[in-house]
Amino acid sequence: MEFLHNLDIGFEAALSLTNLTFCFIGVLVGTAIGILPGLGPLATIAMLLPLTYALEPVSGLIMISGIYYGAQYGGSTTAILVNLPGESSAVVSCLDGHQMARNGRAGSALAIAALGSFFAGTVATLLIAAFSPVLAQVAFLFGPVEYFAMMVLGLTAATLLAHGSFIKGVAMVLTGLILGLVGADVNSGTYRFTFGSFALTEGIEFVAVAMGLFAFTDIVANIRNDQARDVTAPSFGNLWMTRKEFMQAAFPVVRGTAIGSVLGLLPGGGAMISSFASYAVEKRVSKRPEEFGHGAVAGLAGPEAANNAGAQTSFIPMLTLGIPSNGVMALMIGALMVHNIAPGPYVMVSNPEIFWGLIASMWIGNAMLVVLNLPLIPLWVRLIQVHYWILYPIILTVCCVGLFSIENRVLPIYFAAGFTLLGCLFWRMRAEAAPLLLGFILGPLMEEHFRRALLLSNGDLAIFYRSPLSVAMLSIAAVMCLIVLLPQIRRGRKEAFVEEA
Amino acid sequence: MISKLNGRADVEAGILFTLFGILTAGLSLQYRLGSIATMGPGMFPLILGTILAILGLVILTKGLLARGEKSKSLPLGPVIMITASLLVFAFLVLPVGLVAAIPAQVVIALWASEHFTWKRAAALSAGLLVFCYVVFVHFLGIAVPMIAV
Repeated sequence: MEFLHNLDIGFEAALSLTNLTFCFIGVLVGTAIGILPGLGPLATIAMLLPLTYALEPVSGLIMISGIYYGAQYGGSTTAILVNLPGESSAVVSCLDGHQMARNGRAGSALAIAALGSFFAGTVATLLIAAFSPVLAQVAFLFGPVEYFAMMVLGLTAATLLAHGSFIKGVAMVLTGLILGLVGADVNSGTYRFTFGSFALTEGIEFVAVAMGLFAFTDIVANIRNDQARDVTAPSFGNLWMTRKEFMQAAFPVVRGTAIGSVLGLLPGGGAMISSFASYAVEKRVSKRPEEFGHGAVAGLAGPEAANNAGAQTSFIPMLTLGIPSNGVMALMIGALMVHNIAPGPYVMVSNPEIFWGLIASMWIGNAMLVVLNLPLIPLWVRLIQVHYWILYPIILTVCCVGLFSIENRVLPIYFAAGFTLLGCLFWRMRAEAAPLLLGFILGPLMEEHFRRALLLSNGDLAIFYRSPLSVAMLSIAAVMCLIVLLPQIRRGRKEAFVEEA
Repeated sequence: MISKLNGRADVEAGILFTLFGILTAGLSLQYRLGSIATMGPGMFPLILGTILAILGLVILTKGLLARGEKSKSLPLGPVIMITASLLVFAFLVLPVGLVAAIPAQVVIALWASEHFTWKRAAALSAGLLVFCYVVFVHFLGIAVPMIAV
């Protein structure tokens, strides 16, 4: 009964005209940016975040999350039609989706992707509604010790599963944690790392960090790859899939949903890993694995369902524990904090309309996406052909106005410019920037819990080994580090030997 | 030897992280450290900076020993132009207003692309000015000056 009552609160909030509008804008923008290669959800959300500050928190969050899961839909459209992932989680969809399009089944590939994603989105929404309260109950038992251990685990896992070098990822998390400490210290009020500047006392504006590292760095990286694109436009006579294709897609979608839902829950999991995992599973269980890569329906349907399910269940750790599992979730936490809502298990109790409204809006948004996606394909085809030189000045200007609007001053723009240079350096060094953002968001919280835990124990570090929960989480984190580092050390030594010989 | 190390991603990253870690640790010494039980504001950054410096050295060593990935070549022109376009916007928006800030930003940013023409820059600026006025100033009510007087 509780469950139904909660959903009732949620739908009441989500079905208001304002929130429906923002949900619609969110999924529309999300689909558009998912379709545009070179513009990902992280950069777009950073760009639009300041503009949501004026809105009610629910409306802002509904729009941001719409952009996130909308981008999963849009990304697959580009993957199928151009063989180019519009969004990183759509890499797998290129393999078989584009082959289907080349075999003249573009329409049915798009339909399979859309319906598979809708099924996955519905299931994942129900899972979030069912499991979040349970997980939040557990989170209520957490003290500072457990919170600290959980953040260590969350950051480790997020870095581990993100692509790129693990050790550089950890260094990026640490860099983020340090940058997050700039400003007034919570306990003593001392200004740290402000270099005597009053502008830094409130800390570094996190939107400026996100825009510099993602939106602007992406522009620099993409500016020279501005080419016309070859689009396999579907003929609209065969937009519907055949009965045989439907049967071929059904089980992969169910399996993909299951895989995505589980992997999305893990810190660092989410859309991309889910789609890779699902593709691997489908290829393994298929009776005709040789068809994969030549337009196998299962190879498209499974990963498409998986990436959407993963994108959605990755909200669960953010909503219940206040731990971001990827860059987008870190931005959502930042958005909550702007509205003075402390992310974590208390959100569900103190602001039920936000929590349940967001969940209800996800289902509504997914339904909108199916209705929206198929008829608008001609428009999306045009959008893929938009040149990057038109796009990036627009991104720059919208970002600058957004940065200015946060506090009606230009300082955040200067910070963003600085972080652009830093982001370009990281890009050159092949250091993934997302872990830095996670660290930046969690830095102050982590320090607070760490200090509080040691205050309670009178300076005895053994407190982290006394709580069974904390021991469990810290050992999982340690085991994960070892698993990754051991082969690297061995390989590194072998390579060193080869070089010497 | 030096030329062989040049352009190795791990070597560059290792140096950057080590320096940043040392800088952080060094700067945090000016704040009160306190004891483990009652930590002062300097303790946590000192710990983080130290770990980061060590990790940086590990990455650096790894980069020196193994033939790691090459660093990507950074297009210097776009880096400077895009950053400059941000600075110019910040510099012009309050004293002159969006009418100057947007065209200046668009021209400088577009200069970085091989598709630059004055006509395109003018068209984009005009479109963006209208868009910003309608959406940001009119609908969202952001207090950004179109023309500062």
